[in-house]
Amino acid sequence: MRRIALAERSDWRAKAADCGFGFHTIDDAPYWDESAYYAFSLREIEHDIEAPSEELHAMALDMVERIVGSEQHMQQLAIPEPYRDWIAQSWRERQPHLYGRMDFAYDGSAPAKLYELNYDTPTSLFEAAFFQWQWLEDQLARGQLPAGSDQFNSIQESLVEAFGTIARGIARPFHFAAVRDSTEDQGTIAYLRDCALQAGIDCGTLAIEDIGISEDGRFTDLDDNVIGCLFKLYPLEDMFRETFGPYLPRARLQLIEPPWKALLSNKGILPLLWEAHRGHPNLLPAEFDAGGELPRGWVRKPLHSREGANIAMHLDDGRELRTDGPYDGPCIRQACHPLTAFDGHYPLIGSWVVGDRACGIGIREDSSLVTQDSARFVPHAIVEEARGVLIA
Amino acid sequence: MKRSRTAALLLMSTAPLLLTACDRNQSREGLYTSVEACVAQTNDSASCNEAFAKAKQESLATAPRFANREECEARYGAQQCAERSDGNNHSFFGPLMTGFFLSQMMRNGVATNGFNSAPAFRDSNGGWQRPAADGASGGVYRGANTGTGMVPVTATPDRAVTSSRSGFGRSSGSRGFGS
Repeated sequence: MRRIALAERSDWRAKAADCGFGFHTIDDAPYWDESAYYAFSLREIEHDIEAPSEELHAMALDMVERIVGSEQHMQQLAIPEPYRDWIAQSWRERQPHLYGRMDFAYDGSAPAKLYELNYDTPTSLFEAAFFQWQWLEDQLARGQLPAGSDQFNSIQESLVEAFGTIARGIARPFHFAAVRDSTEDQGTIAYLRDCALQAGIDCGTLAIEDIGISEDGRFTDLDDNVIGCLFKLYPLEDMFRETFGPYLPRARLQLIEPPWKALLSNKGILPLLWEAHRGHPNLLPAEFDAGGELPRGWVRKPLHSREGANIAMHLDDGRELRTDGPYDGPCIRQACHPLTAFDGHYPLIGSWVVGDRACGIGIREDSSLVTQDSARFVPHAIVEEARGVLIA
Repeated sequence: MKRSRTAALLLMSTAPLLLTACDRNQSREGLYTSVEACVAQTNDSASCNEAFAKAKQESLATAPRFANREECEARYGAQQCAERSDGNNHSFFGPLMTGFFLSQMMRNGVATNGFNSAPAFRDSNGGWQRPAADGASGGVYRGANTGTGMVPVTATPDRAVTSSRSGFGRSSGSRGFGS
């Protein structure tokens, strides 16, 4: 794994505009960054990222089976009592799921270590699935990448296939919803809807704020149609706390991601996975946090926090890092395994799982050890190392 | 190759797709009781015939299975069930396909190549059902099993008077909520 500087495509902003990628620059700060790329060998991709992703995904689903049968685990994950049976039922019915992203610390020299599962509202999808793919095609066509360069990225193909599989069986109307004023989230649902349409699935979009409730407790769209299935790019744990939350368990509204994803997007899954698979090469030691002082070599994370917010890190060398944010509540501790710097940047690997298939990665790099919303998206390529030359 | 063979956009893109202007793209989806009904609606006999044949073939694998004719007929009505074999000398009873789905992308009002189809069954109460998603052969999902459950089809959406809105979204921040 190497970080290689490469000239930007001179027309990438126009290309971004052409395909509706409106958030390549966020609050005047660059987000899409193609002034460099990460080069991987095929073995690094297949052996170190793809295979562990599929294995961890299977372990995570097995863990859901255990959690839904345990009041104690539900308690540890701080799942509100009124939603527990509903979540368990959604798992027993195997309500279909679409996608998730695992975040890995990986530098090409040691096993990838799982930081967390983003299994409810993962983003950076469009840029990984589409714009990164287009970058590779363009740079290959311009001869800027070694001939035969590839990319670990069949995300879009997998999304279309997944929609073709699950959406046939779901109730209509089928809507995609996100917060009205978030350009990034709106871009992500526009992309997902595009993939669903390519699978031949009729569907619409709706602002999450525009969802209505009827007298008899069913969710409606702006035309007063009872929503059959809702893809919501909005955290389940926030829905639980909000005014309409109490209607969810009885409304017969199908959700994607389904309610059981609340168990996997929750950082409480990390200590449970560690307990069940202690010593697994891709897992970091983790435990539920009882409060108190954070010892050296540990990181504290709230059960729910997004974009690297509210993280406390106590490094082995005694340095302490802390990020702000709005999240509080119960926390976990995870053994500190800092990202490796490449030319002063800290890349975090987002490994995408669509359905049950590991199908691609997107890399976000930050100038800090904690990957936050300021992190830039940097593309990657699979480039075979030159053979026959061994420099010792 | 580890990447998608193609990655195109339908609606997000302002660029022409496949060299045709694509300002009017929609999809159509219909439940039809016969090829004739399908052709009358869509004026596309090739897609209708092909969708019917595919659905018919798929119905053998995805129809619900019953140990005897009586159980099947109780759910799907008299004369609506047939005996089948799973190929391992085990026979069972399943309902006859009574309709099929066709869903297709439209481009400039013209149906594109390729479509999705699925068998549909009518139960003894007159309701329509189709196989649940698990019955599909999609390779994205592990453990796709046969003999899956059926889900009801609602051709026309339910309507309900909305009493209030904005019950979700109050936690929203300026950057939204993706993670």
